[in-house]
Amino acid sequence: MIVLGSNSEVAQAFVEEVLQRDGNLEKLYLFTSEPELAHKFAQHLQVKYLQESEIVMLDLTSELNFSRFERVESSLLFCAVGYLGMGSEEGLYDTKNTTRVLDINFSRLIPLLTHFAEKMERRRGGTMIVLSSVAGDRGRQSNFIYGSAKAGLTAYLSGLRNYMHHRRVHIMTVKPGFMRTKMTEGLPLNPVLTVTPSRAAANIYTAYRNKRNVIYVLPVWRLIMFVIKNIPEFIFVKLKL
Amino acid sequence: MKKNFVQKIANWGNYPVVTKNIRTADTLSAIRSFVEQHNEVIARGNGRCYGDAALAENIFSTARLNKFINFDRINGIIECESGVLLADVLDLIIKQGYFLYVTPGTKFITVGGAIASDVHGKNHHSEGCFSDYLISFKLMIEDGSVHNCSESENAQLFWSTIGGMGLTGIILSAVFKLRNIETAYIRQESIKAENLDQIFSLFEESDSWTYNVAWIDCLQTGNRIGRSILMRGEHATRNEIDAKKRETPYVIKERLLPSVPGYLPSVLLNRFTVKLFNKLYYAQQRQKKTENIVDYERFFFPLDAVGNWNRIYGKKGFIQYQMVIPKEHGRQGMQEILSAIAESGNGSFLAVLKLFGKNNPFAYNSFPMEGYTLALDFKVNLQLPTLVAQLDTIVEKYGGRIYLTKDSMSKNSLTNYLRNVENPKFVSLQHKRILNSTITSQTTHGTNSKRNRQ
Repeated sequence: MIVLGSNSEVAQAFVEEVLQRDGNLEKLYLFTSEPELAHKFAQHLQVKYLQESEIVMLDLTSELNFSRFERVESSLLFCAVGYLGMGSEEGLYDTKNTTRVLDINFSRLIPLLTHFAEKMERRRGGTMIVLSSVAGDRGRQSNFIYGSAKAGLTAYLSGLRNYMHHRRVHIMTVKPGFMRTKMTEGLPLNPVLTVTPSRAAANIYTAYRNKRNVIYVLPVWRLIMFVIKNIPEFIFVKLKL
Repeated sequence: MKKNFVQKIANWGNYPVVTKNIRTADTLSAIRSFVEQHNEVIARGNGRCYGDAALAENIFSTARLNKFINFDRINGIIECESGVLLADVLDLIIKQGYFLYVTPGTKFITVGGAIASDVHGKNHHSEGCFSDYLISFKLMIEDGSVHNCSESENAQLFWSTIGGMGLTGIILSAVFKLRNIETAYIRQESIKAENLDQIFSLFEESDSWTYNVAWIDCLQTGNRIGRSILMRGEHATRNEIDAKKRETPYVIKERLLPSVPGYLPSVLLNRFTVKLFNKLYYAQQRQKKTENIVDYERFFFPLDAVGNWNRIYGKKGFIQYQMVIPKEHGRQGMQEILSAIAESGNGSFLAVLKLFGKNNPFAYNSFPMEGYTLALDFKVNLQLPTLVAQLDTIVEKYGGRIYLTKDSMSKNSLTNYLRNVENPKFVSLQHKRILNSTITSQTTHGTNSKRNRQ
């Protein structure tokens, strides 16, 4: 299994879910830009499941050369790469913030995903599970830079799924909604709309086993986003969402 | 949405509820900068202590320090970060034939919390506290440096942190010993006692059992005072469990967890319902004595089977009152305590009585001392402070003390027993409350020796 963004709590919870349900993995690659945390997680997996893993350093803000991942291969990829950045109020006119948000969530992530998609195509099989966001469903004034990057990612995944369908590679788009993680720490989240990383991981695992294409981690989000997507633009523009 | 780390927060008793700054982190540098940038910091694990102990102006949640570091499967020694729950430890070790030496009545506390409270279990009389099996831990102190603490290394920091309620620093990780078990089951005996005399002699004669605990009906009066059921247990051996269980002796049946959906109206808990509950609980065991084999969850953590059970006490919350009275005064003290409770009508349906064994003199901040300990839940209401004051007077008269992990309103003379923890950086709301009331009582006694903490 290949894990992109392996310090994300959902990614870690998902790895544990897989280990608990399916037993040990032959290979586990943990991609990260923070080696201290990845080492801690690798050790944790070793103690708890006797699972060996390999840490692969990757900083998406500086790297576009993927040739060094030549031998990294697996039939399952989980991508939890994501960067919220600053909201519109603070960060809209901050070019550095905008570039970083776009790089990590979209422009540098897409070539990386394509790199692994190609490998799966070559072996004619595999599953890619990629975390996008409900923020990509419609641009809202509060965080539309992040939202637009995620919208781009969602569109990419949709096209990739269509392309790969004929090549036996399954692409799953996950829209988490609110999750209680590092990214959302300190945000006032509605508890009814919020999941813990382990709950999210369990739901994602079930969807993966059922070969679902696009999932909202909590089904209620499908309804919420249906409503938000269908508000006519002339009304939407006046709302403060 | 703007980030705001100032949040409403309460421990398990939902009393008091405060609005404080709470953060969490998983890298050493982030934890260090939190400590450096704030004063009045306290570490908080899973928030399962009851009162104001794990609350402070600035709370560091160890929720993300949840990784295992090492497990020596041959010698039964485990190392993990401080935010790992005992439940997680048990999940990992039971399959390997190990169990925790000491566990409190819930498995949903963290390892860091177990050290800071130096928790005790049903086996204190025979096996002591959590610290008796603790090998070492890593502690971040006020300047952000990390120290390894054990009996031989930084010994003073080691002993003052044990039971030290987080006032010496932030525990980052710990190493402790595990016990061998042959099965995940307990051979249990339940014996009914009609009054205090009977339950006290039952405790005395059960001294050779590893686990002893009694549920006590605290609303009985007259010669039925102390009506109770003693439960004693031993880890079952392979031969003691039935053949079917013997195939997978470490696997127990998973239970569906019901959960209390929201805060119940607090009027549901009153003198009559508690009385009724107690009556039924006592009556459900027909014979004087029963013997059976139960899984470890049912024996150790019966309450964990109901999620969010704290909500049955309503929005205003509840307190847990746990005291210990030295053995020589145990009989008299308990008699007075139970009479006072029955008279007040403020009954508790979870009243637990135990006999503590000798304490470890090195672990000077640990709560247990040789004697009888009683733990009671009380719904918070207007009469409660009066009852607590009344109970405190009895405990004080007999030279007892109060368990800080559960305290939120007891007298400072019963709670101000920690040594070597004075530190301007790590201060909980509980500690401040206790010190402030010390100052007030000293001032009223005419002394001016105010303790200036900054």
